[in-house]
Amino acid sequence: MSLKEKVLEALKSVYDPELNINVVDLGLIYNVEVTEEADVEITMTLTTPGCPLHDSITSGVRYSVQGIEETRNVEVNLVWEPAWSPEKMTPEGLRLLGR
Amino acid sequence: MLPLSKGNETNIKLPFSFIIFSLIALVLSQILVLVNGQMLVNGSFRLPAIWSATHILVLGWALMVAMGAMYQLVPVAFLTKIWNEKFGFIQFIVTALGIASFSWMLYVSPQNALLPGILMLLGILMFLFQMFMTLRTQAKPNILTVFVGSALVCLFLTIFLGITLIFSLQTGLAAEYYQAIFKSHLLMGVTGWFTLLIFGFSYKMIPMFSLSHGFSMVQARYVYGLYISGLVITLISFYSSNSILLKAGFFFLLAGFSVFSWHISIIIKKRLKKNLDKSFSFALGAIGLGNIIHLAAFIGLWSEQFSTLIGPLVYLYLLLWIVLSIMGYLYKIVPFLWWTYKYSKEIGKQAVPSLKDMMNEKIVAPLFTLFVVAVLAVFLSIIFKTILLFNIGQFVLSIVLIAIALSILSILKK
Repeated sequence: MSLKEKVLEALKSVYDPELNINVVDLGLIYNVEVTEEADVEITMTLTTPGCPLHDSITSGVRYSVQGIEETRNVEVNLVWEPAWSPEKMTPEGLRLLGR
Repeated sequence: MLPLSKGNETNIKLPFSFIIFSLIALVLSQILVLVNGQMLVNGSFRLPAIWSATHILVLGWALMVAMGAMYQLVPVAFLTKIWNEKFGFIQFIVTALGIASFSWMLYVSPQNALLPGILMLLGILMFLFQMFMTLRTQAKPNILTVFVGSALVCLFLTIFLGITLIFSLQTGLAAEYYQAIFKSHLLMGVTGWFTLLIFGFSYKMIPMFSLSHGFSMVQARYVYGLYISGLVITLISFYSSNSILLKAGFFFLLAGFSVFSWHISIIIKKRLKKNLDKSFSFALGAIGLGNIIHLAAFIGLWSEQFSTLIGPLVYLYLLLWIVLSIMGYLYKIVPFLWWTYKYSKEIGKQAVPSLKDMMNEKIVAPLFTLFVVAVLAVFLSIIFKTILLFNIGQFVLSIVLIAIALSILSILKK
């Protein structure tokens, strides 16, 4: 398993506590960059700019990836553009919402 | 892509101080109404015990809970930090002391309520100052800012008019306008401050809790325009004693509220989350009830019994629109606050509970249904002057509200 795959797997353990769906299935993770030096840069968003769980979810994303032994530095970039939309969710995420 | 990462979260102890105070006030207000119920049934609303109970409910509970919620929601909804948290704690102490002493004085010696009233006023002014300093730093003001800002202006006017009432009672000054000032005080407090505040935050919270996307916000401008017009016209009618203006004012208020209901129904139809949380569903139901009460008030205006009908209708509006909305949202806000306090540092490190796991959702539907039934029973008992129905309704209501307060507090054990 590549480090990028391990990162994505770790991110699946981070749940939005309001929706009880992980950030990957919710489509919040826009990009994961892994350098040769094992530095990880995650670009992500939230379902709404005024999300009260703003700090908790971004910290959770950082902690989960820092928990992978091989990683060196972890950077989380929170972006609002492009804005999150339901199309970014996985089929599993939609299923969990009752869709 | 625009990177943005700012930590705006408030120290949890600040909103919690307000919310815990408010839950105690909620229980106290119910006990007071229960003890003095007979007077209410006889149609005597303007009595020290009823003044005291109303102010404990409206200020001690609803205002304090609104302040606590705003300390939590303003930073996240408007993406700006609270101006000064230390000032917020001082504001809590001043306001809590002010409301407690004011309500007590209304009960034992209303003519001496001016001094504690001023202390309470100081606390509320400190809150308004805090919010003004916080909101002015918002990068991009939007329609939510307009709703919440207008609600804060109405709060200021409510307090100003309330203090004028006490001053008038004590000195006899502006005695000829006493009735008009009293009505303005009610209008600004109930339909101005609370309704505009709930409208504003609903536009943030409803799409968030239902995960709604792809709806227009244009209707919110009509809601604002119509409702504010209704408030202004009704205010003018009080001082000019013009019944046509009063009818026009009530019509605009009804129209504004109806457009809001319609807009929220559009937002809900666009939701992704199929099954909504029970408490949130009741908060949505409160919108429909508020709309019906607005319609009843407008229709009632054309009848000769309006002067006897308006008191019970205000009661219904307070309980079934304002209190029900706030309670519905409290079941979302308190678990969130406690979760943030207990688990926000654990997310990503270990399995953490979801917000739904923080409360017992099974009791929400029966408790809230009983609440609505009990409020309707009290309303009918006042209309038909039936003491037995009042006693049963108020007893059930008090027990339900105490149970709701305890179930909210039990979240803190999770």
